[in-house]
Amino acid sequence: MKRIVNLAVTAMVMFIFISTVTAGGKQEAPAGGTEKVVTVDYTNFSGSGGNAKFLEQMKETFEKQNTGIRIKIKTVDFGNYFIQLQTKIASGSAPDSYELNYENFITYAKKNVLMDLGPLFKKSNFDTSMLNKNALNAFRADGKQYGLPESYSTVLLFYNKDLFDKAGASYPADDWKWADEQRAAEKIRALGKNIFGISHPIQFWEFYKVVQQNAGSLLSKDGTKFTVDTPQNVETLQFMVDRVLKSNVMPSEKQMAGMGDWDMFKSGRLGMIVTGIWAFNDFTKDCKFNWDIAVEPGNLNKATHFFANGLVINKDSKVAGAAFEWVKFMSASKEAARIRVDAGWELPASTYPEVMADYNSKTPPANRKAVFESLNYLVTPPVVEQMSEMTDILNLQLQAARDGDKTPAQALADAQKELEKKIKLK
Amino acid sequence: MQSELQRDKLKTIMFFLFPSILGLLLFSIIPIIASFLLSLSKWDGLTRWNFKAGVPNIVGFGNFKEILTDAEFWKVLGHTLYFIVLYIPLILFSSLLVANLLNNDFKGIVAYRVFYFLPVLTSWVAGALVWKWVLSPLYGPLNEMLRFIGIKGPGWLQDAAWAMPGIVLASIWKDMGFFGLIFLGALQGINIEYIEAAKIDGATWWQRLMKITLPIISPAIFFVVVICIINSFQLFPQIMIMTEGGSAGPHGATQVMVERIYKYAFKYFKMGYAAAYSWLLFVIIFGFTTLQMKLQKKWVHYDE
Amino acid sequence: MMNKTIVKPILFYLFASVLAFFILIPFFWMISTSLKGYGALMSIPIQWIPETISFKSFAQIFAIFPFARAIFNSAFVSILSTTITILSASMAAYVFAKIKFRAREKLFLVVLATMMIPGQVTVIPIFLVLKKLGLINTFTGLIAPTIFNAFAIFMLRQYIKDIPDDFINAAVMDGASYFRIFRSVIMPLSVPIIMTLGVITFMGAWNDYFWPLIILSDKTKMTLSLALSQLNGQYVSKYNILMAGSLLSMIPIIVIYIFAQKYFTSGLQLGGIKG
Repeated sequence: MKRIVNLAVTAMVMFIFISTVTAGGKQEAPAGGTEKVVTVDYTNFSGSGGNAKFLEQMKETFEKQNTGIRIKIKTVDFGNYFIQLQTKIASGSAPDSYELNYENFITYAKKNVLMDLGPLFKKSNFDTSMLNKNALNAFRADGKQYGLPESYSTVLLFYNKDLFDKAGASYPADDWKWADEQRAAEKIRALGKNIFGISHPIQFWEFYKVVQQNAGSLLSKDGTKFTVDTPQNVETLQFMVDRVLKSNVMPSEKQMAGMGDWDMFKSGRLGMIVTGIWAFNDFTKDCKFNWDIAVEPGNLNKATHFFANGLVINKDSKVAGAAFEWVKFMSASKEAARIRVDAGWELPASTYPEVMADYNSKTPPANRKAVFESLNYLVTPPVVEQMSEMTDILNLQLQAARDGDKTPAQALADAQKELEKKIKLK
Repeated sequence: MQSELQRDKLKTIMFFLFPSILGLLLFSIIPIIASFLLSLSKWDGLTRWNFKAGVPNIVGFGNFKEILTDAEFWKVLGHTLYFIVLYIPLILFSSLLVANLLNNDFKGIVAYRVFYFLPVLTSWVAGALVWKWVLSPLYGPLNEMLRFIGIKGPGWLQDAAWAMPGIVLASIWKDMGFFGLIFLGALQGINIEYIEAAKIDGATWWQRLMKITLPIISPAIFFVVVICIINSFQLFPQIMIMTEGGSAGPHGATQVMVERIYKYAFKYFKMGYAAAYSWLLFVIIFGFTTLQMKLQKKWVHYDE
Repeated sequence: MMNKTIVKPILFYLFASVLAFFILIPFFWMISTSLKGYGALMSIPIQWIPETISFKSFAQIFAIFPFARAIFNSAFVSILSTTITILSASMAAYVFAKIKFRAREKLFLVVLATMMIPGQVTVIPIFLVLKKLGLINTFTGLIAPTIFNAFAIFMLRQYIKDIPDDFINAAVMDGASYFRIFRSVIMPLSVPIIMTLGVITFMGAWNDYFWPLIILSDKTKMTLSLALSQLNGQYVSKYNILMAGSLLSMIPIIVIYIFAQKYFTSGLQLGGIKG
């Protein structure tokens, strides 16, 4: 026992010694030359899950072009990203530049923790013309450009061609309406007990869009009132819920039994799935059948969900100029776009024709042009500072309707009441 | 002489407590006081704050009032209590069972000791993912086994009424090895001769249990119950992984206190509100624990 | 009599094995999943044993990051954290259990009370304290907070409280100081509980990814659990890779447990004089 205690004491002494040494080794000598080297911190989530090597490529290319700037990358998985970011920002240790998804961008911009990029645009004569306009505008708030788009996605209808052939259904076409989709789904559902026609998740990010396909909306035009429980929206939700509870072309939660809808599609038991183009890589790798995409059918209108990841600079960054160079490179340079497309790592927000031509020539899916066609029908979610809270409140009620515990009318009335109570609109 | 001894004792106490008290102050008391100050504020948890800044956007006890008048708090408290009511008896029973089985010296007992402890050694991240599968009504083994003995299993995590019992099962699996080991340590403190003597005196199995075994392991039981109640009120990782999707279970059936606190703090940007929620939780747990501290004098026997 | 000596072991093995079977099912799935290719994950009916065994998930993990460095960092942090926690907590527990002074129970209640505030609302304040101390992006920042562990103090205090005072009085008679009593009576008698606690503390430090994530930012300082947490993409979680990673990171903990469990019962001498 004595020995253990002695060992412990030795260990403690060693620990103190080592930690002083490591703490002392923090200062980095500037890498040669007379030029002063600045280091820019960059925290991101999109490099997790196996994409880190592509990000590393971008960094190397950038550092070759900008010898005075070093990028220090920190990659965090999406699930833990925002809690660590928030901790850093709140305690004044925010990274110089970081990644934000569209849903969180609005909140961060409104909380005034981001740098207005406008002056930097002017200073460096930054030409935004090669950026996708929708993606660029997504990172504006209150008339200021707080971020640059990095990549964007739209949501499309993916379908399993083999199941369509087997069911004798015709493939989705541009003029499809909800009813056409429903007919095809029913034919596919008839193929077997474990085969389903469609998965169209009944949750906020789908619902806000589907109501617009039916000429409804969640907010009044001037953005001052919730209009969640209108008869139109009730009809929309009824349509979505009936697919689960009545025609059962879409699996219920119990029928999914804990499996995700991507997995279900990839295992060949789902005729159609409404999801984002970020699924391309994964589906290409894992699907052992023919599949393709189409723009989502509408009812009264067509509407497509748009989603983007953006890059922002910390309001208090001491190296804002260098950080802007990096952010600009990631967002708008041809080199970064090329690396992205070659890796199949999301769709770059820049629009260089030759890079885009490469993107379009990749298969599957054969119908890649649907990605760009869908841009004609973009709708963006309501811009609300309490975005996450609003999303969760609605989701809870939508789920109650989906599981048959409430009628759609009741669920939306409850949601309306709760939202009015808890969410402040302007 | 006497006072010298006293001084010596005081020095000893200070020396032995020093590391813990230092850590307690720096990493617990200061942050906890900060959280109390923040509970009086409308701080969003994103805009910059430090200790010098004091209480940003002070609202006094407004957060507390708001929480207590919102039906959500009582619903979520109910879910938490539901978990506790299911979990505590089951964990006591199963870990005592484990302890009794391991309190033998049959060949190969080491293997069982390893098997029963494996879940404890698994992180919740992996454990909860696995349990999602165990409880899957279609793809999981649990309902498969129930079907084998002719019972149609419930939808577990996909069913509002069964989601919480599902979480309880996973938690029992994860924790019973650890608490079993604590009970095992206590059981091994029992003198066999004592029990043999009681047998000769004609004491029944029940009498021996009530008069010898339980009193001797009562400090261990006390420890386990206190820890379990503190942990259960703060039930969190298994909820987040097993019933995620932003809403915790089939329309909120597994929303519990800390799940809400996490969302308010890091998703809804209402850190002040989250801090107030935490302090209400603290009051509840503290109440339960002091009650147990009081009651322990009636039933816990230390050997001092 | 003969019957009884046969029946008891049979009953034991039957019962203990059935229980072990239920406990081990999830691990069976972890292993089987980690050896599956992606397609086999979602097939119906379930492939209990993968049709083709693939070590691709393991290979992928080794390819992603500097494994050796991460393991070294994790081991360094976990071993030091565990040592410090055990040493500091047993010292405090000794006082709380055996040395009477005014306000002792009140102070102990404060220690317990620190466990009752959910960690979520103290994250930012703790980070600020560490920042003030200049410990951000250092291993010290990760290890220093482990000097206070309420759970460990509580657990040790319960155990030490149960050590008969006769033992201590005998040592006092021999003229032993408080330090000698701690070193030669309390610590040796507490080996089983220290080992149990040691395994738990080590595991906690080894599996923790949250604080390393918040505190460390250099790639060279990355720990194993932090590296494993990056296997999750924004849109997809690959179960086979996740399970392979979890299994790999469990191995050292299991080895330590197997070593430590030998000591779980060596405190039996305590039982000899009890009751």
